[in-house]
Amino acid sequence: MSDYKKPLPKIQPYSQAFWDAAKSHQLVIQTCSDCDARIFFPRQQCPKCWSENLDWMKASGKGEIYAFSVTYEGVEQPFADDLPIILAWVDLEEGIRMQTNIVDCDPDDVSIGMQVEVTFQDVTDEISLPFFRPAK
Amino acid sequence: MSIAIIGVAEVPTARDPDRTRWGILREVCMGAVRDAGIDKNDVGAVISVNPMAQPDLALDMALGRIPEVLGMEGCKDICVVNAGGASTTNALRMAKYFIDNNQADYVLIPHTTIQSDIPNETLINFFATAPLDPQWEYPYGVTFNGAMGLITNRYMHDSGATMEDMAAVTVALRGWGALDEMSIFHGKPVTLDDVMNSRMVSTPLHSKECNFLADGGGALLVTRSDIAREMGKPAAYEYGHGTRFTGATPVLRSDVYFTKAYRESSQDALKGAGLSIDDMDLRQIYGAYPFTQCTALEGYGVVPEGDGYKPWAEGRCGPGGDLPCTTMGDATGRGHTGSGVSMAFYIDTVRQLRGEAGRRQVKDCEHAIISTSGGSVMNTCTTVFGRSPK
Repeated sequence: MSDYKKPLPKIQPYSQAFWDAAKSHQLVIQTCSDCDARIFFPRQQCPKCWSENLDWMKASGKGEIYAFSVTYEGVEQPFADDLPIILAWVDLEEGIRMQTNIVDCDPDDVSIGMQVEVTFQDVTDEISLPFFRPAK
Repeated sequence: MSIAIIGVAEVPTARDPDRTRWGILREVCMGAVRDAGIDKNDVGAVISVNPMAQPDLALDMALGRIPEVLGMEGCKDICVVNAGGASTTNALRMAKYFIDNNQADYVLIPHTTIQSDIPNETLINFFATAPLDPQWEYPYGVTFNGAMGLITNRYMHDSGATMEDMAAVTVALRGWGALDEMSIFHGKPVTLDDVMNSRMVSTPLHSKECNFLADGGGALLVTRSDIAREMGKPAAYEYGHGTRFTGATPVLRSDVYFTKAYRESSQDALKGAGLSIDDMDLRQIYGAYPFTQCTALEGYGVVPEGDGYKPWAEGRCGPGGDLPCTTMGDATGRGHTGSGVSMAFYIDTVRQLRGEAGRRQVKDCEHAIISTSGGSVMNTCTTVFGRSPK
C-alpha cells in the first residue's frame, strides 16, 4: 500500500477525526454543538455561528448523485491508470454535499439521482478514502 | 469619481518561443502609454495583474521593476493585485483608488504570462491544485475540466440542453476568435461536428470546449473620466460596477451555476449606470467554460432561467447574430493566458466601444456589460461601460 502514488489528502489537526473515522470505515460529519449546523468540510469554527464547540456525527453513508462527470484525459500521471474516472458530487442523507468518485460502476451506467453508498479504500496504512458505489 | 480606459495594447495570444516575458511586458506597457497619447512620466502608478504560475515575473512586478526599467519618473507607487482571473478587475479598482485620492491622473495596468515554457505536467498540476481543495477534491482526480464538467452536466440536466446545444456555444466563441488577429484561433473556426467529434475530456466537455493554454500580454491606461473627456479621445467610460462572491470550492457552492451572482452583480452595475440590460449592445462574459455563457444571460435577465443555452444554439450570440456576446471569444475562442483572459476582455470591450474591433465590430456599440471572475468562478465582477462620458 505504500506504493500509492496519487495525492493524499492534506490533513489538518481539526480534520483528523474525519480521517481517523475513515480509517475504521466510518463516514462522519462535523457538527456544531451550539447551532446544530452540519459542516462540510471540517473547520476550526462553525461557519454559521463561529462557535468552536464542535462535535462529530456518524453518517449513514447513503446519498444521491447530484452531478457527475466521467474524466477520460487531462489528469496527472498518477491518475492515468485509473481512467476513465467517474467524478461525482454526492448529496448525503444528512444534508451535505461531497466531492468523490463513483466506483464499482460502469461509466455508461452512472446517472444524476442515482442512489449510492459509501465504500472505503485503504490507500495507505494511514489513509482510507471514502468513495461511493451504486447502492445495493 | 469615475474612470475611463484611454489606452490599450496587446500582443497576439500564441505559443511563440521567441517571445520573452519582459519582451511582451515592455511592448504592452509602452504600447498602452502611446495609445493613450500621454508621456511616460505622466504615469502616476503601475498596478500589475499578478501572473499565475510565473513566480519570477510576479516578484519583478511586486517589487517595482516596471517603472524603474521603463523610466517612469512620475510614478508615485506600484503594487500587484492577485485575485486569479479577476485580477484585472481589482487592478481597475485599485487604479480608481489612486485617482480618487489625487495620487495619480494616469494609471498603467499591465499583464504578461508565458505558459508555453512550463512543462505540461506542471501546468496540469497548477490548474488542478490552485483552484481546488487539496484535502477534499484533489485526491479524487478532480481537474479544472472535471469540476466544470460536473457543473455543465447538471446544467444540461436542469435546463434540458443537449450536448449539441452546448457545443454551439463553442462554435460561436471560435467564430469570434476566427475573426480576431489576437486569438490563437485566428482564421480557425470550428463546426458543430468539429466540436462533437473532438476528444472527450471530461463529460460532457470535449477537448475543443476546454481551455488551450497559451502566452499573451496586454495593458490598460486608465484616467479620470473628466480628463478623458477633455482629451476628446475615444474611450471606455466606467458607468457602474457590481460584484458577488460565490465561494472558493465548486462542490460547496449553493449558487452552482453562478446565476444568482450574475443577476445581483449585473443589477448593481446597471443601477450604477442608470441603464437596463436592454440598453446593452454587447455582453462580454469571462467564465472560461461554455455553460457560463448561458447562465450569465440568465442572470442578466436577457432570457428566463434555464433558457440561456437557447440564443447560443440559435446562433444569435456569435458573428452575425442579433444578440452579440463575448466578441473576445472567452478562453475557449481565444486561448487561455492565465490571469490575462480578463485583461483581454477589457481590451476587447474598449475596442468595441471605440469602434476598432474590425470584422467583429458590434454595430453602433454604445454600451457594454462585462463580467470577469477568478478561481473557478469564485466571483462575478460585472461592469457597465459606455463610449461617451456619463
